[in-house]
Parts: sequence; structure tokens; C-alpha cells
Amino acid sequence: MIALGILPMIFSLCAAICGVVLLVLIFLDFRKTRIDDGISAFHRHIDALSPQARRDSIVRNDNDSNRGQYR
Amino acid sequence: MARDLAIDLGTANTLVYMKGRGIVLNEPSVIAVNRKSGEVLATGHEAWDMIGRTPSYIVAVRPLRGGAITDFDITERMIRLLLQRVGVSRFTRPKVVICVPSAITEVERRAVTDATRRAGASDAQLIEQPMAAAIGANLPIDEPVGNMIIDIGGGTSETAVISLGGVVALEAVRVGSFDIDATIQSYVRREHGVAIGERTAEEIKIHIGSAEPSAQDQSADIRGRDLVSGLPKTVRLTAEEVRFAIEEPVAAIVLSVKRCLSKAPPELAQDFISRGIYLVGGGGMLRGLADRISRETSVPVLMSSQPLEAVVLGAGHCIENYQSLRGMFMGSRR
Repeated sequence: MIALGILPMIFSLCAAICGVVLLVLIFLDFRKTRIDDGISAFHRHIDALSPQARRDSIVRNDNDSNRGQYR
Repeated sequence: MARDLAIDLGTANTLVYMKGRGIVLNEPSVIAVNRKSGEVLATGHEAWDMIGRTPSYIVAVRPLRGGAITDFDITERMIRLLLQRVGVSRFTRPKVVICVPSAITEVERRAVTDATRRAGASDAQLIEQPMAAAIGANLPIDEPVGNMIIDIGGGTSETAVISLGGVVALEAVRVGSFDIDATIQSYVRREHGVAIGERTAEEIKIHIGSAEPSAQDQSADIRGRDLVSGLPKTVRLTAEEVRFAIEEPVAAIVLSVKRCLSKAPPELAQDFISRGIYLVGGGGMLRGLADRISRETSVPVLMSSQPLEAVVLGAGHCIENYQSLRGMFMGSRR
């Protein structure tokens, strides 16, 4: 009787531990993703400011304004 | 589908950049209004030609002073007309990025965004002028090096140190080329007893104005109204006189550059000596100003290849890369 009563408790405890571990893993993964997001957003930001990225919008206008197209 | 826009809503000139097309409009920030009916009669170049030459019922005004909106209603109407002229209709509502002085207050900031939204924009974001100017002047702001830029506009002068895509140090003063024109006007009035208009003062500045003595110093005959007799009068003005007249605003601009240099971290300060300071904006085209700043700071000063367009080109680049450069906008960082 006592053994039968302990068994569900052990299973419940194991399930609870597994649940907590799962939650911790999910939280750590989420945190890692956020850090990665920050890094990739910063890189996107810096890449968008590179001379290569700016060539299209600025050099094209340099040529346009030399020809006086927008005036 | 509306194309997104970048607007450099300057005290002197307004420039509009359209996504995928480049600069589509460049004209003076002036609007002429009929006082009796409230109708807009002209904007831009046409309105600029009217300044000081209108009958009493027409008023040609600049709705921005010192980079800030002085007349909300007229500014909104001017933006609405600008948007209409570049093809924005009631059904096509573009995203708009507007360049504003970094020193504007929260109230002024809200006035600009509200005026733009009410004029037909679906979203209005603000970007600081020196940041936009640095992008537009093609400075290597993506690198961890100090880039210093001075933007001298009609109503404000701003100096910024930029590194790794962000502002490191910033200094702004509400002194610009219109203050230089105003000092010329008051000098001629005080010393020669002749009243001149703001357009004449601007012409004097362009033709014989300078911040440093040079071999090209000239003099010019100025026509105005004699304050005593009320009759037209011509006086001769020398470059030295103009230099003396504009000393106060020029000195204020140079002092703000020095203050910004003193705020910059020492690691970046050494970059300025090797890379120089970049000068943009219409006010920066004053003869000898680059030499004056260079002499007083002991740092080389270089003129940008497109001093008048750098700010709108930078904002235009932000509209081309809206998602990646969202962090540049004023609301997103504060």
C-alpha cells in the first residue's frame, strides 16, 4: 500500500523536475535568441551604413544633381 | 502605392527625396498667403521672389525659424503642398522621414510630426540633421573611428562626432546663415543709415562676405532706402566691413565647434586630426569659414562635395533601408 502510494509521488516529482528543466531550457534558448537578435540587428544597422550600401542612394543622386535633374 | 519620402525641412530650403527616385524637389522654405482669404498663393521659388515685395494683403513668410515651426498652420499647409507636388494623394499615404535640428524641444518635435501626419503621411519619423548629414556626406560612420561633421543651416549650426553608426558628442546652437544676414542688415542700417531687405543682405553675404581675410576681398555697391530722407541710396561696402559685421554669429559657430571637440572622447579626438572635420549646409559655404574653423581648432576642415543635399540624401538612405536603420530615428532611441 505504502509502495503504491510512493510511486505516483515519485512520478509526479520526476514530471515536475522535467517540466522545470524544460522551462529553464526554453528560457535560456529565448534569451540566446534575444542576444542573437541584438547582434544581428546591430550588424544590419552597421551594414546598412557601409559605403557599399550607401552607393545606390547617394552616388546616383550625385550624378543626378550634377545633371541638375531635380531642379 | 505611395513611395516613401525623406524631407529636409530646413529654415532656408526644403528638399524632398523619394524612395527609389532620389531628390525630386529642392526649393526655398517660403510660402505666400493671402491675408484676407487665407489662401496659399505660392510656395518655393515663386514665393521667395515675393519676399519684401508684396502688397499689404499678401504675406510671404518662412514658416520655420531656428529649425523650429513658428507657424503650425502654415507649415502644415506647406508640407501638404509639398506632398501633393511629389504625387502624394489622399489615397496614397507614404511613410515620411523628416530631418530636424538635434536641439529641438519635445513640443517642437511633436509639432513637426503632427504637421506631417495631418498633411497626409501614414507615419512620420524624425532624424537628427547631423546624423543624416554624415550619412549623406558618405563619411565612414560604420567604422569605429571618429567622424566629425558641422552642419550650418539657415537657423541652426550643429556639430556632431559620430562613430559606429551613433552620435558620440553633439553641440548645437540656434545661429545660422539667417543670423549672418540679419547682422549685415543691422550693420548697414547702423553705420550707413540705409535700410536693406533680407534678400539684399543675403546677396552681400554671398558676393563679398567672408569669415577670414583673403586676396579675393572685394567691395560692392549696395542699394537701399535712406533712413533720413526715405529716398533710394547707394553705399559702398567693403569685405572687411562685412567681416566685422558678421563676426558675432561666426564666432558663436566656431565656439560651438570647439565645445563639441572638447566633449569628444580622446580616443576619437586623434582621428579628427588625421581625417579632418567635414562641413555641410548652405551656411558652411561662407567664404573663409572652413579656414577660420581650421585656424581656431588646429584641425583640417573639408567641404563636403554636396553641402546642400547631404542632409536629405542621408535621410533618403534611411528611407531606402527603413527597417535596418529604424534605430536612427529620434523616437526609437529616447
